[in-house]
Amino acid sequence: MADTAGALTVEEPLDLVRLSLDERIYVKLRGDRELRGRLHAYDQHLNMVLGDVEETITKVDVGDAAPAVRAVTRAVPMLFVRGDGVILVSPPSRT
Amino acid sequence: MSEQASKKTPTDFLNGILGQRVFVRLNSGIDYRGVLSCLDGYMNIALEQTEEYVDGELRNRYGDAFIRGNNVLYISAL
Amino acid sequence: MAAPQLLPLELIDKCIGSRIWVVMKSEKEFVGTLQGFDDYVNMVLKDVTEYETKGDTKHVTSLKQILLNGNNICMLVPGGQGPTVACS
Repeated sequence: MADTAGALTVEEPLDLVRLSLDERIYVKLRGDRELRGRLHAYDQHLNMVLGDVEETITKVDVGDAAPAVRAVTRAVPMLFVRGDGVILVSPPSRT
Repeated sequence: MSEQASKKTPTDFLNGILGQRVFVRLNSGIDYRGVLSCLDGYMNIALEQTEEYVDGELRNRYGDAFIRGNNVLYISAL
Repeated sequence: MAAPQLLPLELIDKCIGSRIWVVMKSEKEFVGTLQGFDDYVNMVLKDVTEYETKGDTKHVTSLKQILLNGNNICMLVPGGQGPTVACS
């Protein structure tokens, strides 16, 4: 195999995810959730295993006053993401 | 086949806009603008120089972005 | 002799080159010229107007050419003039 060309080019969208293995990535999920973590594994559904994850949940407080947006973050050492919740995956910028 | 000549299937359309600047709208209303690097049969999309717009306001930029196809409402050439 | 049945997608095939009105499962509608479609009813439309209703407000967007995901399509109206006529 032409290892350098084959491994580094993006011919289908999932190649972008393949090139991000063992890198820190950003994942946007349904329900106003975001994840930042190291991509350990993924499959064709975009099920993923992430390590050293920071999860951010954006909530809107609807109270008496004007609605306030607040972001709640928490750390998770290792987690599985079901692919159907994924909206967007952004790898670290390639240079 | 003259009648067929004006037909443009989804595949024809996609082959025509590869490498171009495109506008992608998701079912949620979030919009993305970027250069279309590739896509597959699920409408999964890889974009470069991606800008994310929520309610028409620029919210984020990504060097590369993978968008899962089930969220896509439409793709438009710019 | 019964007339041969026209399959649903054969009807849509006859719309190629004509204006078509697409009603989505959500409160979104599109009117455009149908250029082509595939087995999933993903559609290529040109000279498109997108109509979106959010509560009381209506948004209208013009687009030169789009590939519309067939996944969320509810109805297709051949030769449809869109919601502008139906609502006025």
